[in-house]
Amino acid sequence: MEGLTYARIVKSSVPHGIIESIKPGRSADHPDFIALVTSEDVPGINQVGYYIPDQPALAEKKVRFHGEPVALIVASRPYSAEELRELVEVRIKPLEAVFDPLEALKDKVLVHEEYGSNIVLRTRVRRGDIVKALQESEYVVENVYRTGYQDHAYLETEGALAIPMDGGMTVILPGQYPHLAQSIISRVLGMPQSKIRIIQPVIGGGFGGKDDMGPIIGAQAAIATYKVRRPVLLIYTREDSFTSHCKRDPAYIRYRSGADKDGKLTAVDVDIVFDAGAYANRGPFTLWRATAHSTGPYEVPNVDARGVLVYTNKVYQGSFRGFGNPQIQFAVERQMDELAERIGLDPIEFRLKNILRPGSRTLTNQLLEDSVGIGEALARVAEKCGWREKRINYGKIVDGKSRGIGVACAWHGISTSRGVPDWCNAYINVRRDGSVEIYTGIVEIGQGTHTGLIQIAAEVLGVPPEKINLVGGTSDAPDTGATHGSRGLSFGGTAILIAASKIRKRIQRVASRILDCAPEDIEMRNGWVYSRSRPEKKLTWEEAVKRCYAEGEEMTATGYFFIPKGRFDEEKGQGFAYIVFSYMVAVAEVEVDVETGLTRVLKVWPAICAGKIINPKLATTQIHGAIMQGIGYTLMEEVKLSDGKILNPNFTDYLVPTIADLPEIEEPIFVEDYFRFGPFGAKGLAELALIPIPAAIANAIKNAVGVRPSEIPYTSEKLFFDLSKGRRK
Amino acid sequence: MIPKVEYYRFKTLDDALRFLRQYPDSKILAGGTDLIVQLRSGKTTARRIIDISGINGLSYIRDEDRYIKIGALITIEELKNNEIIREHAQPLWMAANNFAVWQIRNIATIGGNICNASPAADTVPPLIVLDARLRLQNVDRQREIKVKEFFKGPGETVIEKDEILTEIVIPKRDNGWRYSFIKLGKRHSHILSIVNVAVGLRTDKDMIEDVIVALGSVAPTPVRARSVEDYLKNHRITRTTLEEASQKVVKDIKPISDIRASAEYRIEMSKILVRRALNECLKNVFTTQ
Repeated sequence: MEGLTYARIVKSSVPHGIIESIKPGRSADHPDFIALVTSEDVPGINQVGYYIPDQPALAEKKVRFHGEPVALIVASRPYSAEELRELVEVRIKPLEAVFDPLEALKDKVLVHEEYGSNIVLRTRVRRGDIVKALQESEYVVENVYRTGYQDHAYLETEGALAIPMDGGMTVILPGQYPHLAQSIISRVLGMPQSKIRIIQPVIGGGFGGKDDMGPIIGAQAAIATYKVRRPVLLIYTREDSFTSHCKRDPAYIRYRSGADKDGKLTAVDVDIVFDAGAYANRGPFTLWRATAHSTGPYEVPNVDARGVLVYTNKVYQGSFRGFGNPQIQFAVERQMDELAERIGLDPIEFRLKNILRPGSRTLTNQLLEDSVGIGEALARVAEKCGWREKRINYGKIVDGKSRGIGVACAWHGISTSRGVPDWCNAYINVRRDGSVEIYTGIVEIGQGTHTGLIQIAAEVLGVPPEKINLVGGTSDAPDTGATHGSRGLSFGGTAILIAASKIRKRIQRVASRILDCAPEDIEMRNGWVYSRSRPEKKLTWEEAVKRCYAEGEEMTATGYFFIPKGRFDEEKGQGFAYIVFSYMVAVAEVEVDVETGLTRVLKVWPAICAGKIINPKLATTQIHGAIMQGIGYTLMEEVKLSDGKILNPNFTDYLVPTIADLPEIEEPIFVEDYFRFGPFGAKGLAELALIPIPAAIANAIKNAVGVRPSEIPYTSEKLFFDLSKGRRK
Repeated sequence: MIPKVEYYRFKTLDDALRFLRQYPDSKILAGGTDLIVQLRSGKTTARRIIDISGINGLSYIRDEDRYIKIGALITIEELKNNEIIREHAQPLWMAANNFAVWQIRNIATIGGNICNASPAADTVPPLIVLDARLRLQNVDRQREIKVKEFFKGPGETVIEKDEILTEIVIPKRDNGWRYSFIKLGKRHSHILSIVNVAVGLRTDKDMIEDVIVALGSVAPTPVRARSVEDYLKNHRITRTTLEEASQKVVKDIKPISDIRASAEYRIEMSKILVRRALNECLKNVFTTQ
């Protein structure tokens, strides 16, 4: 590309401090030096905060975490950019920092002094009378659970290319919502959104991280481009990605729950502390999601769930497959096993007594009218995995190893929570030769959603998928909402269904005139448009389209859909949480080396209730990926920090599972609990499949060797010492 | 980032040695799987790199009368696929089979793994057990040194600044020796060792006649577990003997806590891995009562 320049971030090397100066220093003497870009170069508002305006694109006045981008170095060659960033002179006066979220709650050190407190916000869900219920419960169990950071570890690190174009800017970036990137970049450039064009090519892994990082890195690249008036390619190295991109929120959860003598849940009383890191980012929403899922998919009449999001001087949290839910479900499902043991019930039997069913009410008192298949899923998976027999026979040491089997359930609200507006849209254009163009904002990040979306359009229009060209992940498409919240296929698909149905109706109208039959009698299938009652009366799809063009029928359509939502009363802690939930049950079988603590997940049985499965192959591969990511989260992925500095920003020491850690994964059970607003009844499942994995593994470890994992990652070393402590007792 | 370096590549050992004599602060690059990472992280400050990977005649595995000779540029993958190694240098072959990933094995060399002097190097405990010697060469002379005496500390060896490791010499032993190699990491493959253990032993009926036990990643250099060896020699083999011998390893090791494991965990794992490695050697010899 003509005039392309290369940028790297210059990072803070202290966790908290006042920026005194940022100067190019010797970097400016280098022939490849083009510019040093700082917060002073931001033409618009230096603000990329997602919900709370607390996060600068480039640090301004203060730094709040080790690795925070304070400047960009722009050079004419990529290698020089790497070299020059080490010559930039950044002077920061260190301030006292706070790393532990419980310590941060005391507000002795303030991460954002302008707010007067480290508490970003509190959440609460209340139902019934918790005090009375706990007093009257036959069984009460209380435990503390902790979960750690998880890095997305996507194949492709963050990178953005910003190009000055047509009086505006085109930014190619790895996001999950082109229109969000457009609005954030518009804000930092002080330029109307219509002047910013976003292209999101097929992305090398997202898992939520690119949802946050796409707009942020896009904004950073755009600021640099604005200054140097040339295209800028900004790339995060793997180390930059580890040190400076958002991660799954660490959580501290104190969980107390009770049951009556028959094994019915009576009460859940829970405190959830989410460590936001330096910026609020998605924390308000991940925490809300955790709070609103804090009973698990069970009927619980009395609930008090309190969440608090707190700033610390560490890398900030963000979206990650499950979005606050894996943390709480780990606590919920460990707790369910502990309660079951106390009562003397089998874990599956106990869950079945309390599981949500059609007609149940959730902890927010939301009525679930239909699309609740988890009871059936639980019963079927128990049958399939040979639960009873294994549960009795496992837990015996043979040759230094012991097997165990564990179960965990999960639920996951689809789309945004509460009354947070959510909509989708799509634009379809049938060309004169009968080929079909679809524009959607939904992004392809390796999950295969574009294939599913094409299938939906092909089904409605009765054309072969080869005729359809889907243009995704672009701000040229109507605002479709994000590819997150397990909504890509469900809502992205609904929009396409609506748009395609409009065109279908028009073709039926024209064809009915030509074929001399009623419009309702017109069927469209396999490239033919024909009379259902007299199939010999037919047109090819191409002929039908040609006639529509000739007879004045519009061959373009949009498919706007505003998702109906209810209201959540924050005061009472009651009301509408999510339009629908997907559900999952996972049974995991493990083998623990009792001498070393090394755990191998041998087999996983997934059962999924995500409505109609549009493409079973894609669904199954999503499940496989989520299980692997879940195994990493549970057993080995650990961000090691010292004074806020990440000590293992590499794949040598941040361990993700390899193919050798892959368990056998049984063919999923799909309970197709149809959802009335989903295309053909589909709900989402991309995030869901990770959520029960940590507890399923932990419960299996408990079954195998008797330790009670209360913390993830539950590494071999932790397991070993828990086991030795148990032996000493 | 990788800093700017001066890079020299030689076709003959003599040229490389002459250059090294002239510029003794140069760093040798064979496969580069450690060196490049260290340049990037700043762990290596050398700015002159001598690439020896193109040198002819340092890539061989020879079965000679009383010795196995391995050229320093032999890759780990070549060790893994070599019948001579499999037959006469069994623990080394086992280590090669558990070494990193295929891509790394294809370029990492045995000489590099030794000279990098990582306490966790997987080829070293096997070489100690095999009583291997290292041939070091400079412009004027060559010398041989026992592998055990080669290491001074993490990243530190007795190699002189003008020397290159050219060959690993492994004496052949009679058929009575049995070997094992075990490593422990935090996942099931592609992993740096938290502890690794190699054992070689010879039995006479139910007595252990001779035994060598070596461990990696539990001290500043790979170590021999003399206390374990002494305890085992001329002892009848029983489950209890092996168990008690394994406990003795604590005297031979001095692990640290780092981001991979705590010292306490390494101590506990050393005992267990030594016992397992001994058992592995003896598994077809006797059955413990």
